[in-house]
Amino acid sequence: MSPARERWMGWEARLMGIITAILVVFGLVSVYAASSALLVDGHPVGTSLALQQAGGAAVGGILLIVAWRLDLKRLQPLAWPLILVTIGLLVILLLPFTHAIAPRLNGSRRWLRLGVSFQISEFAKLAVVIWTAMLCAKKGKDLTHLSKGLIPVLTVVGPIMLLVLAEPDLSTAVVIGFLAMLVLFAAGARVGHFILLGLVALPIAWEEVAHVQYRLLRMTAFLDPGADRLAGGYQINQSLIGLGGGGLFGVGFGQGQQKLGFLPYPYSDFIFATIGEEWGFVGVVALVLLYTAWVLLALRLARSATEPFLQYLGAGLAAMIGVDAFLHMGVGLALVPTTGLVLPFISFGRSALIVALAATGALMNLGTRRRQLGR
Amino acid sequence: MRIPSRVTLIGAGFVAAALAVVAKAVDVQLVHGREWRQRAREEQTVRVEIPAPRGTLRDRNGVALAVSQQTYGVGVAPPEVSDRGRAAALLARAVGRPVGDVARILASARVWYAWPGPFTWEQVAPLQSLRGVYLQRRLDRFYPRPDLAPGLIGRVDDAGHGATGLERALDSVLTGRPGSAVMLRDRSGHLYPSPSRPALQPVPGEDVYLTLDAELEEIAQHALTMAVDSTRASGGDVVILQPMTGEILALASVRRDGTAGAGLGDVFEPGSTAKVFTAAALLRNHLATADDTVFAEHGHYVLNGRAIDDVEPSGTLTLADVIRVSSNIGITKFAMRLTPVEQYEALRDFGFGTPTGVELAGESPGTLRNPRLWSGESQASLAMGYEIAVTPLQLAAAYGALADGGVLLEPTLVSEVRASDGAVAWRARVRPVRRVVSPGIAAQLTHMLQGVVEEGTGRRAALGTYPVAGKTGTARRTVDGRYVPGHYTASFVGIFPADDPQLVLVVKLDDPKTDYFGGSTAAPVVRTILEAALATPGVDLNRERLVRHTLPDTAPARTAAPAAGAAAATVVPWPVPAGAARAGAPAGVPVPDVAGLSLRAAARALHRSGFEVRIEGWGRATGTTPAAGAPAEPGAVVVLHAGGGGRGAG
Repeated sequence: MSPARERWMGWEARLMGIITAILVVFGLVSVYAASSALLVDGHPVGTSLALQQAGGAAVGGILLIVAWRLDLKRLQPLAWPLILVTIGLLVILLLPFTHAIAPRLNGSRRWLRLGVSFQISEFAKLAVVIWTAMLCAKKGKDLTHLSKGLIPVLTVVGPIMLLVLAEPDLSTAVVIGFLAMLVLFAAGARVGHFILLGLVALPIAWEEVAHVQYRLLRMTAFLDPGADRLAGGYQINQSLIGLGGGGLFGVGFGQGQQKLGFLPYPYSDFIFATIGEEWGFVGVVALVLLYTAWVLLALRLARSATEPFLQYLGAGLAAMIGVDAFLHMGVGLALVPTTGLVLPFISFGRSALIVALAATGALMNLGTRRRQLGR
Repeated sequence: MRIPSRVTLIGAGFVAAALAVVAKAVDVQLVHGREWRQRAREEQTVRVEIPAPRGTLRDRNGVALAVSQQTYGVGVAPPEVSDRGRAAALLARAVGRPVGDVARILASARVWYAWPGPFTWEQVAPLQSLRGVYLQRRLDRFYPRPDLAPGLIGRVDDAGHGATGLERALDSVLTGRPGSAVMLRDRSGHLYPSPSRPALQPVPGEDVYLTLDAELEEIAQHALTMAVDSTRASGGDVVILQPMTGEILALASVRRDGTAGAGLGDVFEPGSTAKVFTAAALLRNHLATADDTVFAEHGHYVLNGRAIDDVEPSGTLTLADVIRVSSNIGITKFAMRLTPVEQYEALRDFGFGTPTGVELAGESPGTLRNPRLWSGESQASLAMGYEIAVTPLQLAAAYGALADGGVLLEPTLVSEVRASDGAVAWRARVRPVRRVVSPGIAAQLTHMLQGVVEEGTGRRAALGTYPVAGKTGTARRTVDGRYVPGHYTASFVGIFPADDPQLVLVVKLDDPKTDYFGGSTAAPVVRTILEAALATPGVDLNRERLVRHTLPDTAPARTAAPAAGAAAATVVPWPVPAGAARAGAPAGVPVPDVAGLSLRAAARALHRSGFEVRIEGWGRATGTTPAAGAPAEPGAVVVLHAGGGGRGAG
């Protein structure tokens, strides 16, 4: 960049960078520990997943720096093209003739394969946050009107949610909707609107959840994890066995048993259980503290931003990481129904990691002051 | 400002979520940690039994007869298979099926398909890594020579325990002690050994070395099968015993209806083969000598209203002749010199009426009734081998006593038990039961039996090379408790070689249809077995000892079945033993004094000195040419004169 510019990074941004680095490194180690003993298609995983994740971390690191140095205000006019491209990609995933680039994996079509795989819904989260922040900044005080705030947001985000739901990926769809609502809430939309929305949306959501049996089982299993160990409660039970088995100090790094086939996706959807088993309560608390600090720092950075768009964007990005993190941990502890959510920075999944690191860069950007020399 | 407060609310929400997570973590990890840990142990670990391999059954030379081997079956769950092409190729190679067939199975909607195998580890190892393919480990029992005495060796049941035969009799020895281990188990059921929980290692079963000689067993089995086929007998048994140890070398059984077991449960009336025991009773009670004579009534005799007939009518017979020509009249008349108790005790002492004590289950004691239950005819019947039921093994053991200098031994099938590391855990010792007759009497009786093969009813058991002793038996069979004409049990008991026994052979044929005489049906089987055994280097015979007892290498008597007199003039060349040739001075060897010896003993003495012998006359030796004491070249022909006594060939 031009030597005429000087950057000054606040402590929040620096601390966030440190916490993020800790989480990413710990994540790489945990992915390795959770996956190396597994067999995929008969081949031992070994270091392959950890190395893939490290590649994702490298790409994410570059994007972090780009986002950190970028003038974030330039995103505002890009919000509409971004959201339209996202919708287009989500549609491609669902088209009947695109199986070659959008294969069905584990029962759903979430990945676009163009040499490398992209989980489009992860990018959709980011796009929705940017777009909603842009819309809220544009509408300003008009957000208090239902027709200027909630309804336009739902008009755009609703179809995106439906597209993600159709993959099917219920949990990401719900998270996308929730993020849009959080941005809207941060921007000052009326609380009454959300209550109204809740009254309308809950029966629909329940209907959606209930009509697929495996979802129903997962939905109700958290109410009584011990009820049916082989059906819906199985995953939650294995997760709790892992966490509970860890006790105070854990069974030791690499010594966990639950990852040996008891837990589904011990390196992604249930990596928290793997970590909790190996590091115990101490590790769980440390992880919770790191994420809480990260989210609070992110919100502090958002609040400190100079423009509404950046404030809303910051809040949305903070929520994007925080919601995933705490929902993931809540799933592992049977606080919320079992959903396939990744633990940001830690779980295997390069799309999510790249998006999370880019978001981190944007937030650190908010905490970095630029001065034109000679001004 | 509204916005900061909203953002603060969001932050508060996240802090609440964090607290909820920590609170739940306290509950799960600290409060209920122990319960979850218990659940974890239950689900993650499994106590598995490590099966102990069953011991190996081997013959006396170490040839494996029954071996435990780990084998695998292959199962596949087609819906779980991820890479069908690769799986089909690997499976096809492993199970030896065409790739197309396997691919069809994988593409089908079947939930499960299994190839039971058995496959070896080498065959199935490449399948380990395939998803949806499961290997089922088994410990299988293999019989490397499945046709070899299956009834005797026995088989194991599905649980791997001995069900029949020796597998059952020796089950407690062959069965090992299973070990156990705590294994870590993953979701798909794969087990990993737990490093922190030591396993109790299984103790493999012990290996049993049988006394059986697989080669001899096969020879016996083959000869018996041929004989049963050619005589159209309903079945038959062969027992081959080592008389000095009681070790059973072969135990073969054939039944036309396919029910052959080990042949120890079936009894038969031995007939003439039992005559020698009456002779033994007479000798040991000093009631007769081998040279005592009776008048054989020229073939027909009525005793207490019961007609007794001889196949070959004779005049005056010595006790040795009675055995040699198997005279019913003669042995009956001799038996009258015994009290019932003396006769009973002799038979009892030879082991009849009592199980031999061999390791196999299901052995019959046979029948030997107490003299109090005897009728007036019983003594005559028992002398001829009726009113007594024996097993082939009992008969072999009793003849073994004669061949072993008069001591009855307990027959055995097990020679050694070894732990899996090769250490000998148990070794069979000779188990004498009792002395039945003195060594001298045993020698006399064996000598009589040698006459049976050389000049009597057992000529068709004779070998050209070595002297064989033996006795024929032809007994009428009962059908529903009555003797029925035309049904016989033909048997022959051989002792080989006659003068230094290494084998006792019992051959019994049930109800042969072509010819029913033991001498013409069973005796050739003994010869066949002996010839094959001698020709098979693997058969456990002391060949060094045998060499000392070879017969003159002439056209054997059996081919022409000549009259006894024809043998008298035969020149019998004898291979000069190497030792004798070396010892013999070039000047010559003095001719031994053989006057007064039996012809056979005289010839043997001359042979031993290295001479060839030409016999002139019959009976006892009276002298030689050159005379006793005169030196002669080794290998020279010495004429052995015999005569007097007037007891020509009967």
